Amino acid sequence: MLAAATVLDVKDLDLREASAALKRAKNGGAIEICNTAHLHGFCAGLKEGEYVIVGDAGDYLGVLNDGATIRVNGNVGQYVGDNMTRGLIEVKGNATYGAGLYPYSGTLVIRGNAGDFTATMNKGATIIVCGDVGDEAATYHLAGDFIVVGNAGLNFGNYLIRGNLYLGGEFKTQGHNTIIEALTQEDVQKLQRLFEQFDIKADPTRFRKLITETAKPFYGRISKKHE
Amino acid sequence: MAIIGAFCVSVMKNACINAKMPGKCATCVEVCPYDVYALDAAGQVSVQNFNACVGCRICAEFCPGNAIRINSAEPEAFTRALWTFPTVEEIHYKALTGQYLLRGFGTMGPLPHFDSIVVVPSQIASPPPRDKYREECKVDVVIGEGRCENPIHLKYPVVFPAMSFGALSREAKLALAIAAAQLGIATNTGEGGLVPGENYFANGYADEARTDRRWEPGGYLVMQWSTGRWGVSVDYVRAGDAVEVKIGQGAKPGMGGHLLGKKVTEEIAAVRGIPVGSDALSPCRYYDVQAPDDIKRMVEFLRAVTDYKVPILMKLGPSRPYADVRACAEAGVDAISIDGAHGGTGASPDIVTQSVGIPTIACIPPAVRALKEMGLHRKVKLIALGGMRGGLDAFKALAMGADAVGFGSAAEIALGCRACMACQRGECVYGITSQDPRLRARLDPEEGARRLTNFVRVTVDEIKILTMLSGHADVRDLSEEDLRALDLNTAAITGLKLIGFERRLPWWDGAN
Repeated sequence: MLAAATVLDVKDLDLREASAALKRAKNGGAIEICNTAHLHGFCAGLKEGEYVIVGDAGDYLGVLNDGATIRVNGNVGQYVGDNMTRGLIEVKGNATYGAGLYPYSGTLVIRGNAGDFTATMNKGATIIVCGDVGDEAATYHLAGDFIVVGNAGLNFGNYLIRGNLYLGGEFKTQGHNTIIEALTQEDVQKLQRLFEQFDIKADPTRFRKLITETAKPFYGRISKKHE
Repeated sequence: MAIIGAFCVSVMKNACINAKMPGKCATCVEVCPYDVYALDAAGQVSVQNFNACVGCRICAEFCPGNAIRINSAEPEAFTRALWTFPTVEEIHYKALTGQYLLRGFGTMGPLPHFDSIVVVPSQIASPPPRDKYREECKVDVVIGEGRCENPIHLKYPVVFPAMSFGALSREAKLALAIAAAQLGIATNTGEGGLVPGENYFANGYADEARTDRRWEPGGYLVMQWSTGRWGVSVDYVRAGDAVEVKIGQGAKPGMGGHLLGKKVTEEIAAVRGIPVGSDALSPCRYYDVQAPDDIKRMVEFLRAVTDYKVPILMKLGPSRPYADVRACAEAGVDAISIDGAHGGTGASPDIVTQSVGIPTIACIPPAVRALKEMGLHRKVKLIALGGMRGGLDAFKALAMGADAVGFGSAAEIALGCRACMACQRGECVYGITSQDPRLRARLDPEEGARRLTNFVRVTVDEIKILTMLSGHADVRDLSEEDLRALDLNTAAITGLKLIGFERRLPWWDGAN
């Protein structure tokens, strides 16, 4: 981890005050921030810079992140990286419910475990969980890559539309509309590259890949007669 | 036993093969088990015994020219009870296809609406009426005043509510934006992302650099934040003049938006970030909200992302208005849109649009009561949506306590729509809800904006007429005292005084 140049303590500050303090602290280098666990929606919509959060972070950390690099030394609350469009969020500890919801792009790396509904409605981001994920992970996954080094819970990849799900361990149940496909050489190379980039100890050749069964939506539609 | 004389049989001569070539076809005569049709010596078919028709429609099914129509001669409730033609058709459809019906344009059929409320003019016992032709009437509304840096100052108490790009064509969206700019009111992106140009058009500029000021006085664009988060980024959130958190909508409360794959063209797919041709099915709830506290946090971070500059709104469907509005207000929003069951520009399962959610007139009183109890009425603005047809409905909603009203379906109709209720098909012949370039070419955004502007101006004139004959010079002074319920049912639902009785029904005593 890079050494932080500026230290910002946001203890006792509310979200508005902490966000203003963060803006003022911008100096072109990395900013180390302490005591953020009580803030929900901190580091929202940042477009640049590197931020190192010391200790745990609250809910919605890095929501709408659009280019910043956010590293967390501890655990994060719910919905980390919500609706990210660019940038990197790296969490050393665990994430709870709903990590990496709705992202369009960017990278989210959780070194520990992640909770239920992780990577739901992923529309193009790369999301890596080095531990296990909970139930319903990657529900309605529309694009991008979701990589779980450990195990997954119930309905892994439920109603998968597009994108690739890679699983190093076992799932409790496989989601609707998913099939397991053999890894291609490109898949192995992609995983290898990501594992090297983020220093993840895993053998990419042992992963399984889930893709969509139909690439089709699942709701009723109008018949010719009634059109 | 079959009912005699219950059905009208009509044969369209221009489609009937027998009418053109006597003797060549007599299918109806052959298949009718009740001798409704007769064949004469010249080979011509006629309806000789229409009283005998029982409405089995076997003739219509077999007619090779599709020339026969059977209609109920009496209201179907008398003749076929539960098993009306539409019910039978629906069951056949489900049996044939294994699918439920989807349609657009909201509830059909009798639900309590503004028609059962009348306006009470002012006379001696109340402030005298004001002169529409010689006196002023204030109708402007400010959203977010004292609560954010850049409040929205609506010139009229009217908004164009959320209708997505995808559900509507690009041309329709831009027409709404231009009209909003010409009127000084707000339009809304809906949940389908931002149409290129929509934001600066709404502000009155014809170019992205905002050098070509084309439309005065300039309006506002509300950026909708919804459960599908289609096309949403930090730039999107910051691109408009307010952010609306969508919780529900009148057309399909409890469900997310449906955009059928047929309408997901390359352009729509690019904006929404989904594959071309796939249905865009918004989740029914936010995956990133599990408790009321999360909604509060969502409002807080949206304020942080927008630098505490723009108002944050919330849109509710017609569920439990009192409790829902309280929860919204506690979350700290600046305005709440509440969409009654009559709202319905979106495609929705027929059973949901028809029978789920409470009517608009039943949403407003509990919403107003909730805000009054919290001391927030007129501070947190209430926008009433759902089946607003013009100035009369709008006036009634305002007098019941709303601060502004939204015209969704009426705006589509003002653009040229004829309410055929098939928006979901993507084949709108007026180019309003279609993505087909051939059909879209029929709608010119500037001409559409002209029609919308006329409609809203007339509507506001109607609001002013009614406000002034009620003795007020400002729509904010309107109250329930300016209205009466025409029947017990409406008085019971709304808390308005009942005509004749001139009091509220007893169980409303003591209520706000």
